[in-house]
Amino acid sequence: MNSAPPVIALSAWREACLGALDRGGRFCGAYASGTGAARRWNALFADGAETLVLSADAGAADPPTIVDLIPAADWDEREAHDLRDLRFEGRESQRPLATHAPETASWTVPVEGRGTHQVVVGPTHAGVIESGHFRFHVVGERILQLDTRLFYKHRGLERAAEGRSPAAGLAFAARACGAGSVTNSVAYAQACEAALGLVPSRELRRGRTVLLELERLYNHLNDVAAICAGVGFAPGNMAFATLKERALRLNCELAGHRFLFGTVAVGGSVLDLDAAAAGRARGELGELRADAEAAWRELAFAASFQARLGGVGVLSTEDASELGAVGPAARASGLHIDTRGTSPGLWYGSAFAPARPPAASGDVAARLEMRAAELPVTFELLDDLLSEPVRPGDAAAGGSTGPIGVARVEGPRGETVCAVELEGEHLGRLHLRTASYANWPALVHAAAGNLLPDFPLINKSFELCYACVDR
Amino acid sequence: MTALAAAIQVLGGLALAPLLPGLVQSMKARLQGRRGPSPLQPYRELRRLWGKSLADPQPTTVVYRLAPCLVAAATVLALLLVPIAGRAPDWSLGNDALVLVGLLALARFALAASSWDTGSGFALMGSGRDLTFAVFAEPLLVLALLLAALPAASTDLVAMAAAAAGSGPWTEPVHWCGALAFALVILVETGRQPIDNPDTHLELTMVHEGPLLEYAGRDLALLEWSAAARHWIVLVLGAELFLPHGGGFWAQLGWLAAGVAALCAGLALTETAQAKMRILRAPGLLAGGCLLALAGLASFLIGGL
Repeated sequence: MNSAPPVIALSAWREACLGALDRGGRFCGAYASGTGAARRWNALFADGAETLVLSADAGAADPPTIVDLIPAADWDEREAHDLRDLRFEGRESQRPLATHAPETASWTVPVEGRGTHQVVVGPTHAGVIESGHFRFHVVGERILQLDTRLFYKHRGLERAAEGRSPAAGLAFAARACGAGSVTNSVAYAQACEAALGLVPSRELRRGRTVLLELERLYNHLNDVAAICAGVGFAPGNMAFATLKERALRLNCELAGHRFLFGTVAVGGSVLDLDAAAAGRARGELGELRADAEAAWRELAFAASFQARLGGVGVLSTEDASELGAVGPAARASGLHIDTRGTSPGLWYGSAFAPARPPAASGDVAARLEMRAAELPVTFELLDDLLSEPVRPGDAAAGGSTGPIGVARVEGPRGETVCAVELEGEHLGRLHLRTASYANWPALVHAAAGNLLPDFPLINKSFELCYACVDR
Repeated sequence: MTALAAAIQVLGGLALAPLLPGLVQSMKARLQGRRGPSPLQPYRELRRLWGKSLADPQPTTVVYRLAPCLVAAATVLALLLVPIAGRAPDWSLGNDALVLVGLLALARFALAASSWDTGSGFALMGSGRDLTFAVFAEPLLVLALLLAALPAASTDLVAMAAAAAGSGPWTEPVHWCGALAFALVILVETGRQPIDNPDTHLELTMVHEGPLLEYAGRDLALLEWSAAARHWIVLVLGAELFLPHGGGFWAQLGWLAAGVAALCAGLALTETAQAKMRILRAPGLLAGGCLLALAGLASFLIGGL
């Protein structure tokens, strides 16, 4: 993978993508790179621990669309059109995604019929959340179609990182999202290390895995609390919000930052826990685990809470697969995707088995239970990792170098894909595709057919990030 | 004594009403492990809103402008119908329970009309849900009041309160059915879980809060006060008609205070223990209350044979 991928002619592009799928690859992003005659349109396919990079020459002509073959590529193509001025041959409609056209009709799906009307929410919301505009087409209380408009605060982080050194570029990936900072940083660092031919040491792999699992822990606790808040169930919300706060304080004690910022470096790690600190952390995590299990039992017996979850916001296995859903949301729909099982750069080991949902029904209940099922796995992993001191690690030269480095890392909401293209000593292109980016279309799809007042609950069961889109 | 009852009815209804939602919020916060606002918070809100200027969305008509006054006026009239501790001053309005139902419906209609006038999506959505619930909630209110009226053989609230006094009614199934049905009425009229969530910021889930979103300043103060006064009306009625009371005026006043406090605590407990129910199931709950009330009616008729 580390040698530059062969450039595929545009006429063979669709066949090459289909071939990657046929060989068992899973589409995990596409991005444009280069300018002028050197412009490329690249598609990424996950295959076990490897990531296949297909690269088409888009310098002279428009590449053909693959959205009919791979619906998951819809956002990638629309974003490339809006931000990189790339056009796609054969796309019937090119609705704006990142740019905001004033005419509503230009970016919404037309819905007609007796009694249909639109309900508009955002981009300014009553709660303390990011900016996003939701346009619901409804009949009565029933959602027929949801159109989202995000990208309100797009920061241009990917472009801003261009021309910087790999070490300086880390800040751009790290700040893309607060709740996924470690995941994105590790993905970036691994992508750079792949391009620079650096091989992480045992200590580096262990340190990063500890950070990733700490991040997963507080996010999962937060997501359970959010689902409780979505139906106005205050006792559950307060219980899990308290647990999340304890997890954040543990983060602060271990890494000096509640959201673990500044803990990842390219080719190294700064996390340093001696035996005493690791032992204290194990003790606190043990208590947290017992309290989380008790709080979860309370939820299981809250009938009015449980009555809200079943059959709401269903994402079928086929739809999850077609739309490229990842993370707990995909696993709750019956897709067995967990990048942790195929991460040689981390410390999950060959025995790692992702949690299976009690029922892969793809509804809010399944997504909630999926997170609850993953919590014990995370507690076990952390307990095991912290049984010995965690020392700063490094990465040694030894691998093959190349102009492109790609890494995939499983975060709390799913897989972050980071692609780095080096031009000499500097970044030529940084591409960051987080789990939230991958899952937004799945959320939109899952909302259709449900009751309008259930949407906040469905939304919270995915708990997607706006900043990940506004990167 | 009647003069004191009149004073409590008017001054209490006007001035003490905001204390009730304040009390519920405060108790709820304690139950949920939060410190929460003081019970006096609604007064601070009202003072803040009263000092603010009005803002009319464009285009709106006189319907939008008049709605808060109409809602407040209907609510004040309804307050004057509710007897305090079994006494009611003569305001030449009578104390008919059905008039009370009509006044509450008028307030609901005025607010729904204002939502339609603004054309705001959230306001219309909230009003639409409120009216849908009202289809079930108003018969439930009428039936619950009817069950209290049957033993008194009158729809006069003073007579109904007198007939429900003492321990006698508690041996009658009709009283229990009426009390349970009225408990649901309290949940709907005060806009609380599992029917509605007064604390939510999620516009898509709002019922009673939706139509208020377009209002500001004094308009909003009037509407917020009316919502608090609705607490007063249904909680005082609930205590007077369905909770234990009896004895002289002072004893009845004590029962009333204890009853209203107990109902506030009940609301706080319900809101803490119950999540909000799926919106289309709420009418089913209310229809179940109607069935219960009908069963009470049947038991009364059979008992009377």
